[in-house]
Amino acid sequence: MTEADDRLKALFALDEPPARDAVFSTAVMEQVMRRRFQEDVALLSAASLAGGGALWVIWPILQPALVAISQGLAPALGGLALAACAAMILGGRVRSALGLEA
Amino acid sequence: MSPASLDEELVAAAQGGSTEAFSRLVERHQQALRAFLRRACGDWSAADDLAQETFLAAWSRIGRLRAGASVRAWLCGIGYNKHLTAVRSAGRERARAKRYEEDRPVVSEGKPEDRLALEAAMAELPAEQRACVALCLAADFSHAEAAEALEMPLGTVKSHISRGRARLMQALGVCDD
Repeated sequence: MTEADDRLKALFALDEPPARDAVFSTAVMEQVMRRRFQEDVALLSAASLAGGGALWVIWPILQPALVAISQGLAPALGGLALAACAAMILGGRVRSALGLEA
Repeated sequence: MSPASLDEELVAAAQGGSTEAFSRLVERHQQALRAFLRRACGDWSAADDLAQETFLAAWSRIGRLRAGASVRAWLCGIGYNKHLTAVRSAGRERARAKRYEEDRPVVSEGKPEDRLALEAAMAELPAEQRACVALCLAADFSHAEAAEALEMPLGTVKSHISRGRARLMQALGVCDD
């Protein structure tokens, strides 16, 4: 490299931005995160629309099936719900009676 | 760990969706990209805007960056294309030129007349020649790396650099042997 090249390089070096620039990096990452958020929102919206559309299409088939299943399962689900309530209510008393309550 | 292998690791992580890795790539390459764009377009504020746009585009396209490729050259290539697009948009250029004059920092180092002469000579170079000079004479890119970044044949890059260098030396009044 000649002396002239060194001089040229030194002059170019005066335009050099800092090696670390938190303000610039933060501004870039803010835009990246904003872009990512927009992409996520677009994806979720598209998925929701597709799901809603699919449900609308299959609802005439799904509805009778759900009604039939729910009628069959209603007694069993009712029993399960009662058992869960009883466990929650009595569970505390049993634990305190046994001296296990903190 | 060498800078190239660290870059490769960061690129792989960013390709997997890590914003933290991408943020480190931004930190590592912002200086080179901004310096190149400042020299290529001569307008500091426009160059920084272009650099931000470049990183944003890089985030979207990071999946296309092949393993082992130079991140610095890839970013400069995207930045250069964005600069060419911006140059074509004349109205935007005029507004930025005005802002540039307002925002232009006062630099105390170096002989002001040399800086002005260099700036004027750079402004007169054709865009392609200017980009080649900015990469190879100012930023230590190899000719091959510049050719890859600017998507130009190697011979064209060499001839741009040779002509550009001669014009800059002439503008600075340097007797080149």
